[in-house]
Parts: sequence; structure tokens; C-alpha cells
Amino acid sequence: MVISGWFVVLLLAGGVPIVLTNDPAWLGYWLAFVIVVTIVDLLFAASPRRVRLSRDVPVRVRLGETTAATLVVENTGRRTIRGVVRDAWQPSAGASPTRAPVVIPAGERVAIRTALTPTRRGERRSAHVTVRAYGPFRLAARQATIAAPSAIRVLPPFNSRKHLPSRLARLRELDGRTSVLIRGQGTEFDSLREYVRGDDVRSIDWRATARRNDPQGGHRLMVRTWRPERDRRVVIVIDSGRTSAARIAGEPRIDTAFESALLLAALATRAGDRVDLVIFDRRIRARVQGASGPELLSRMVDAMAPVDAELIEPDWAAVPGVVRSVTSQHALVVIATSIESPGSSRGLLSVLPQLTRRHTVVVSSVTDPDVLEASRDRSRRDEVYLASAAERALLDQSRVAAAIRQLGGEVVTGSPADLPPALADRYIALKAAGRL
Amino acid sequence: MTLTMRSDLDTTVVTPTIRKAGRAVRFWIISGGTALIIAVIAIAITGIAGAAGRPLSPTDPHPTGSKAIAQVLRAQGVTVTSVDTVRSARDAAADPASTTIFLVDDDGYLGSSSLRELARLTDNLVVMTPDFDTLDTLAPEIALAGNVSGLLSADCGLRPVQQAGQVTGTGSGFRLIGTDADATQCLSSGNDIHSIIQLARDGKHVTVVGTRDAFTNQFVQDRGNAALALGLLGQTRNLVWMLPSIDEAAAEGYPSIAELTPGWVSTLMALLVIAVIAAGFWRGRRFGPLVVENLPVVVRASETMHGRARLYEKASARLHALDALRMGTIDRLGALCGLPTVASVDDVIRAVSRDTGRQVPDIASLLRDAEPGGERDFIALSDALLDLERATAAATRPSRAAAGGTMDSTTHAHQPPPTATNTKQGE
Repeated sequence: MVISGWFVVLLLAGGVPIVLTNDPAWLGYWLAFVIVVTIVDLLFAASPRRVRLSRDVPVRVRLGETTAATLVVENTGRRTIRGVVRDAWQPSAGASPTRAPVVIPAGERVAIRTALTPTRRGERRSAHVTVRAYGPFRLAARQATIAAPSAIRVLPPFNSRKHLPSRLARLRELDGRTSVLIRGQGTEFDSLREYVRGDDVRSIDWRATARRNDPQGGHRLMVRTWRPERDRRVVIVIDSGRTSAARIAGEPRIDTAFESALLLAALATRAGDRVDLVIFDRRIRARVQGASGPELLSRMVDAMAPVDAELIEPDWAAVPGVVRSVTSQHALVVIATSIESPGSSRGLLSVLPQLTRRHTVVVSSVTDPDVLEASRDRSRRDEVYLASAAERALLDQSRVAAAIRQLGGEVVTGSPADLPPALADRYIALKAAGRL
Repeated sequence: MTLTMRSDLDTTVVTPTIRKAGRAVRFWIISGGTALIIAVIAIAITGIAGAAGRPLSPTDPHPTGSKAIAQVLRAQGVTVTSVDTVRSARDAAADPASTTIFLVDDDGYLGSSSLRELARLTDNLVVMTPDFDTLDTLAPEIALAGNVSGLLSADCGLRPVQQAGQVTGTGSGFRLIGTDADATQCLSSGNDIHSIIQLARDGKHVTVVGTRDAFTNQFVQDRGNAALALGLLGQTRNLVWMLPSIDEAAAEGYPSIAELTPGWVSTLMALLVIAVIAAGFWRGRRFGPLVVENLPVVVRASETMHGRARLYEKASARLHALDALRMGTIDRLGALCGLPTVASVDDVIRAVSRDTGRQVPDIASLLRDAEPGGERDFIALSDALLDLERATAAATRPSRAAAGGTMDSTTHAHQPPPTATNTKQGE
């Protein structure tokens, strides 16, 4: 049972007879009157239990975008429901409005649209629906909560897709190049064409030149062109352990790792490489294998959506096995983790040789722009101490990075905004160098 | 992304029906009701007896009450009327000559006009341990004289006192300060202090009594206490036992707020209180249960850095902090001078000296040897490190320094260490 503001107003209206008659007994009369009227109102209110609910909820939405969820309430009772319906979404689902005034005649149904603008990634749920049905006088209402579980999957935003066109353009530039600089193990013979000035003379194919029968007479030189290798493997391993929960510039490290993984995957799948994704801490939290093209990205965001960093230490010793289970060929293994201090990176460093023996390994890590900022600002006493702590942090990072390089890995670091394009650039550079 | 999922939900109502809710709380209702009934019975048995508890009350059987005296007086044919207001005292006192009024006003509820009215009602007013205001109104010739204890012996012509002989004197003492009235002073405790003083004026007697304990149930049987009490109070056929209530105090002096306001105000206030409670229910009623939200952990990555900085500061680890700054600076200086990362400090010192033209010992002191003596030294050394980096950057990039001036040199003077950015090593 619920009372409304009108109930309070009706109570207060009792002041009029009390003042006019100047008789204390009127307080009792009035209270009795109000109670009787309220009971009558309740008796005539529709039952909030006799409803049938159905939902129409989008399966997924990208973080930052707005979508609409529809709740259909059908009145199966005999009276008209006049009241308010609350669809109980989680606060982070960003539902608005959360309460909808409705009038549902008996046997009819009403659709209630709720705009959802989620504020966090993952599964956002609505647990139940609460119906409040007022009586004809709107003094009191009957209220019932009905279990109506529903969920919407909020996908990572993939803000870094803005970097994709420029990176794709650079990737296309790699095609058809003859420069010896990019000629190597990983490049494949593409085609023969006529020599133009500026081509590397070492790429002239003398046999092809000899074979070519020019109708106009004379000899045109033929050169071989090369294109970057295709159908290489890219394995992205994202660490969802303890250190990935830390926030840099308001964004957890794991979200930045997702952004860079998505950009890299979008780029690599266009370049004809096969991309596999593993999110791992002590167990495999999510895995995308064998997808390509647009399907790859949609499966990746789907897999990433519900994963949050857990406060446990990742089991690095299992990572080589995980990579082996994905591919036995030579692959580009991208490990998205954090390299903060030699202590916390010991696990990674201990398994790195196993990976670098077979694969090209790139370790990508987010750096904190605040640290760099702090190391520069030294005007006050406490700032000098802070600067020294920042320098110490930077030194630790550089020591870990140096250790990774010594073990044959590569390191890509950058602030949350810079890391995805930096990783994409590194991929293009590796591809150009034929090291995939 | 417009793919939606349509689902019909089976309507499981979470809110229990009234019947179900009643069944759930039935145990508590029954046990609560049983406890209430037991409490009511218990109070009915014991509580009423203990309800009265006013000292010197004619209905109070407790040690501090005076029911014994009242009972004995009644048995001897004296009409004892217990009153609490001046109005009921007026009703009870028929004839001033045949009425004795016994006034016990410990809390000073009665004002001067009420006291004067009481005095008018009787020829024989007995006042038990009056306070200053009461004395001032009824017997201005008598002054308070502190507390009295011990046994007191009869020493005057007052009949009840003589009959009593010896009484418990615990209570108050008084002293006669005026001379114009006919006064009898009894039960002296020395130093001109008396426990009973009777004033006679125009045929009216006012007896001020200080022997309080002698009138209580506890002590009334001791010595001549009973004789004193019965003698003082049993002189007439009619005894009005006055124990003023708090209403009497309100009746005194200025009119109360209740008298000044119209009658409906208190009723309206009650209505307002009920309305406020109703409004609380209106606003406080929850619209269904809360939804659980699992909040993510919020850890700022730079927290360890800040913690370490505070640790350095707290421990005044100046040398340690300075070494961190120096190592960063040496790394950057080495990069600026084009030295490999494996270059030793001495190499860096020599290269910087060559590029900037500064003396080797100075640079060596700054980069390696100097120990900060205090905070001032520490900050000065940190500034000197920045200055050296700036100078080296300016010296190693003469073209840009010349073109852009010193302004430009500051922008690239403090480059991040080479490993913190996207390096091109290994390509």
C-alpha cells in the first residue's frame, strides 16, 4: 500500500472544520472520514499483480551511445490501471525516465520506452518492474513488484577507430613497393612491371626483361614488385589481472588494452592476417578465434564487454601454453599488460624467452602521463619529492622495458590516447620489415 | 546494433500478498501481543501500589509518605481531605474556625496570591518546611536558619509540643526576626534556631514546622513524633491536606499560552503532526526494491608514486630522492649527448662538460658527489639538475637554440627518458 500526496492534502483539509467548529472532537471525525475514504479508494484500485509483461531490449549497445528499451505492460485485470510503472534498471544503465505514468484500461497494453545511456561497460541489468495502481480518488495505491530480469550488453566504445583510416592508408602504401628496405623474408613476390626511374635497380628481373617481346622494339626493363606477406597470425593476449584494474586518466588499463586490441585487429584483418584474442589472468576470461573481417570485430567487442579486471595476480607461466593452443606457427604475439616495476613484471619476464623463441613478441603498456608531468614540476618542496618518486617510477619502467628488449621482445608504451595508434604503427612497421 | 531481444516474461510477483506477509510476521504479532498482555497484568498487580510516591502525601504508604498520620486522624473523627489546588481547598474548607490546612509545598508551586487565599481559608495554617517565598508571604517575621538534626525536647507552652516531649528534629530550622507578632518558639536547637514557630495574628494561627521526618511513616512512631503530628493537625474537625500540583503553578501569574490561544490551536497542531507523519510515509515509501550495482574498483595508477613521494618526504630521504632525480637526468643527458645507454656516469660527465663548457668537477659534484645537507640544498640541487639538462639541450642543438632562442630550449629540455616513449629500438 502506498499513500499519495493527496492523502496528506486531504488530512490537512481537516483543519477547516476544526477551526470553524472549534471542537476537538472534529479531529477524530476527520481522521475516521479520511481512513474510510482511503479504504474505499484502495478497494476500487486495480490490482497491480494482474499484469503481463514483455520486453523489447536491444541485445547490445556501444558504450556512450543511447538506445531504447521497451517494456510492454498488459493489464489482465478487470479494472483500469491508473498509476506509475518503474522499470528497475541498474544506475549504470543510465535509464531515463525511470518512472512512467500509465493509464491501462482492462485487457489493453501499453508500451513504455526507456532511453538507456549506459555509463559502464559490461552486462547492465534490470531486475524487476514495480507497478503502482492508484484508486479513483488517487489517495492511496496498491503496489507490487514483479520479477522481470533483462540485460543489455554494453560494448567497449572503440574510440580509437578514428585512427583506422590513416593506418589503412599507410598499409596500402606498403603494397607494390619495390624498395629493398621492405624486401625480406616476410615479403612475397607480387608482380612484374616496367621499370620506372627511381626503382631499385637490384629488383630488375633480367630474365623477365629478356623474355619480354616488345612490339615497338627495344628493351623495356622489367622489375619485380613485392607485397607484404599475408595470412600471418596475430595473437593478442590481454592481461586482466590486478595491475589492469588501475586507472590512468580515468580509464582502467584494461579498457585501453581493449581499444588498442580492437584497432590492431581491425587493421590486421584488413591486411589479410588472422587475429586471435585471448583475455587471461589465471584462467581464460574470453577468447576469440577463427573469425575474420567484420565478424572478428563484433565477436571481439562481444567477448570483451563483460570482462573486468580482477584483483588477482596473472598466471604468466600458463601464457606460453595459451599461445600454443591458439597457434603453433610463428605469430606476432601482442601482450597488453603493464610494465611498472621489476617486481611485478617478474612473471612476464620469466616466460618471455619461451615466447620470443618461436614468435615475435610485442609488449604494450599504458604509461601514466601524470608521472611524466610530475617529474618535470619541481617548484615546491613536496613537488621535488614527488618528482623524485616519478623519476624512480620512470626508471623502473625503463629497466623492465630494457629487460624485455634483452629477452628479444619489443615494447610499445604510450598514454591511454596514444597507445592504440602507437601499437598499430608498430604492427605496420613490423609488417613492412617482414617480421611477422 | 539495432538487434533487439523480444521476451515475454512470466509474471512472478515478488511482493508478498497481505495474507503471505501476515503469515510471515504472525509469530512476531503473537509473541508481541503476549508480552504486552503480561506487561499489563504485571503493572496492574504491582504498578498501582507504587504509583503514588509523593513525600508527606496522606495516601502514600511508603516510608517518605504520611498515610499513617492521616489514617489515625480519620480514626479519631477528623475529616482529612487531600487536595492539590486552591480551588478544591476552598471547597473542602467550610468554616475557617473549624478547619486546619496542612500545606506541603516542596516545589514552591504556589504563588503569593494563592498562599494568601489559603491563609484566608483557615484560622489554623500549618506549613511544613516552607521555602523563602512562602515564608515571605505567610510569615515575614520568620527566616530560614539552615538544617537541623538530632533529638529536640519540648521547651514551650504549645500543647502538642508539650505532649510530645521529645521529637526527631531532622528537617529545617527557623529564626524569628520580626517583633510585631505574637510568636511562640519551640524546639530550640540552640543559637536562637527553632524548629516550630507559631505566629498568632488577629485570632489566626500560622505554624511553621521544620521537623519534617517526624511526620513521615518511617519515623512517626519514634519518641513523641506521633503526638506532635496528631496534636498539630488534629486540633479541628476538618483537616485539609494541601499538596499543590503543577497545575497550580501554571494558574499563577501571567496567563499561559493555552489561555491566550484559541481552543482549536492544539487540535490543529495534533492534525499537523499526523499530517507530517503521513507525509513521511508518502515520501518515504520505496518504489520497489533497490537494484544491486557491482561497482568497479577505482585505483589510480599513480597512487604508488604519490605514496613513495610521501615516504621520501616523511623520512627526509633526501639523498635517496636526489639519486632518483640524478639517474633520470643522467639517462637524458646521455641521450642528448648521443651516448649509448650503457655509457657510464663518467662518460656522461665528460660529454656534458665538453658540450656545455662547464668544469668536470662541478658536473661530477652535481651528478654524483654532492650530498644535500638540508631541504634547501636538496631543492637547489634539483634545480641545478634541471638547469644542467636545459643547458645541455641548448648546447647539443645549436641550430634550434640559435633560431628559437631560450624559449625553445625549455620545451625540449626535459624530454622524457627514451624508454618511456614509443622507441624505435630493434628495427
